Amino acid sequence: MATATQTQQGFVPVEALEKPWRFDLFRRWPWLKRLVRMRSFQYFLLLPNLFMFYLFLIAGLFGTPVGSSNIIIMYVWILWWFVLIAVMMPFGSRIWCTMCPLPFFGDWLQRGAVIKVRSGKSPGTNNKFFGLHKRWPKKLSNIWLQNFGFLLLATFSALLVTRPIVSVIVFGIMIVVATGLALIYRLRTFCNYVCPISGFLSLYAMTATLELRSTDKDECLKCTTKSCIRGSEDGWACPWNVYMGKLDRNNYCGLCFECVKSCPNDNISLFVRPFATSDIVIRGYDEVWKASIMLVLAFSYSVVLLGPYGQLKDWANISEVGNWGGFGLYAAGQALLALVVFPGLYYLSIRLAKWYAKIDNVSTKELFLRYAYMLVPMGLLAWIAFSVPLIMVNGSYIISVTSDPLGWGMDLFGTAHFPWTPFWPEWVPFIQVPILLAGFYYGVRGIHKVGRQLFSDPVQLHRSLVPPTALLLGVTLVFMKLFIG
Amino acid sequence: MNLKRVPNYLLVALLLLLGGGGGLLFAHLGQTAPRERTITITASKYAYDPPVLEVNRGDRIRIRLVATDVTHGFYLEGYDLDAKVRPENDTFWMRRPSEGHETEYKEVQEISFIANRTGKFRYRCSITCGYMHPFMQGELIVHPNYLYSASVGFSLALAVAMLAVFRRSTPGGRP
Repeated sequence: MATATQTQQGFVPVEALEKPWRFDLFRRWPWLKRLVRMRSFQYFLLLPNLFMFYLFLIAGLFGTPVGSSNIIIMYVWILWWFVLIAVMMPFGSRIWCTMCPLPFFGDWLQRGAVIKVRSGKSPGTNNKFFGLHKRWPKKLSNIWLQNFGFLLLATFSALLVTRPIVSVIVFGIMIVVATGLALIYRLRTFCNYVCPISGFLSLYAMTATLELRSTDKDECLKCTTKSCIRGSEDGWACPWNVYMGKLDRNNYCGLCFECVKSCPNDNISLFVRPFATSDIVIRGYDEVWKASIMLVLAFSYSVVLLGPYGQLKDWANISEVGNWGGFGLYAAGQALLALVVFPGLYYLSIRLAKWYAKIDNVSTKELFLRYAYMLVPMGLLAWIAFSVPLIMVNGSYIISVTSDPLGWGMDLFGTAHFPWTPFWPEWVPFIQVPILLAGFYYGVRGIHKVGRQLFSDPVQLHRSLVPPTALLLGVTLVFMKLFIG
Repeated sequence: MNLKRVPNYLLVALLLLLGGGGGLLFAHLGQTAPRERTITITASKYAYDPPVLEVNRGDRIRIRLVATDVTHGFYLEGYDLDAKVRPENDTFWMRRPSEGHETEYKEVQEISFIANRTGKFRYRCSITCGYMHPFMQGELIVHPNYLYSASVGFSLALAVAMLAVFRRSTPGGRP
């Protein structure tokens, strides 16, 4: 039976939520734990990735400016993007962060080591770090910077995903900023608060079927060393500044596995869990707006990039067309939709929910934050639905650029002349529909679970679901119209 | 029949069937008699004009292709058609992708086909024409769009079904 577990502050302790099943991978496969505990584990994944990434940057710098013939565009914006959004996010949480090449140099300089651990005493840790090791300003300790950063990047997406040099510049800036911040601030400040990619990974990791958690939270509370966050001679202090005793969401765990190495009680494990069921707590407005921005961008990309309207493409394609007025309209419209219009519609649905369900025991703010969870699975699955035609229609370019990565006429593997061949494009809508329906289903199911924690009155609970469900249905139908209507 | 005694799975199945079936029926009732349509499609960086073609199942479609700036392609998914058109040419070149990439393009004055597959199909540029080439596309919508109508009906039914099941499965929630 569902009971209301509302606290005086209005927030439900996460421990009070009904926990779905989870499957302990380390217990089932001890070899996996041994592998993860190896100091070099992360670098088995990272170094090949780093090598490839720098090859792509070189290709972007010196290769053909035609995006569809340059490996950086095809591997990063078609292959990587699809694997990230459709495979890594739903099934691997932030496993991309485990192998992300962007913070490598920052980590190296900050730690003074690539693989080994340095014991010592830098403030708040049991490790020796180099650099200024300053605290990141509290006012910026949220994902607002990431929200605006991603929106800004997205505004130039038509250039980013078609011009190799633009990708090189953007990644170059990110590497420099990540390295600079690592020398000034402690731990992974860039990943936690600045990286625009990290922002949406944090949000959509909530849905993932993988989680790194302590096996027994009580054990963490008894632990005096707190090595998971402070580090030890076996592992670095958590780069994400996460204490495993309180970790209850995937959002800000970058799966570096340092805590697995440093925990003296062998109390941390990797679990498999059901999709979009466990982490259903949205904690701040920054996360709500992130969900809104992501959903609106999925819509905007579907209209501008995958839509038939040349005028919109011309506006977005600013460097070639040079229509600054149109570009301004496009950029402002997208920002307005993401930051004002859609959050406004969502707010309206919450006010309607309060009115219709006659809610006076839960504040509008709390309901606004908590029911925003519905936008998380919907957003992720809308992005997956958007990405399906990218890989199915333009995936064949990957085959040709593999043999001719710079577009110079090489034929390394004999596939350079593989023609553009869409793979069953007429079946794309049949794949997109169930994906969108799944997004709607998991979104509504999620807020039902949230509602059960908030309301003891079943009629109130039920009525509170109706307006947000109607909004989410509207979102689903808009995407259906774009993709198949 | 007492609705309260209908098990959840049956209620959900019935609602989804009704929603999806209702959508299909709605689309089916809206179909009109086939006719012949002759359309000139102009390709220029990075769009087609008209961007969207709406036709009915059974229509005989005759398409003339014109390019205004550079050579463009016209790959119509679902209909096994690929063409390339050069600027200032009255004719263009067409092939059937299913016959393999070695197949020669044939010079034609129009593409003619019967719109016998329903739904939304994209026509895309198949010849690299510039930066935004991968996103140059238009839409052919062949009515009745069964997939879309059924999906809309199904979505509405799913919303109703979920709310109904939540209502019934919440303790004290049965009406």
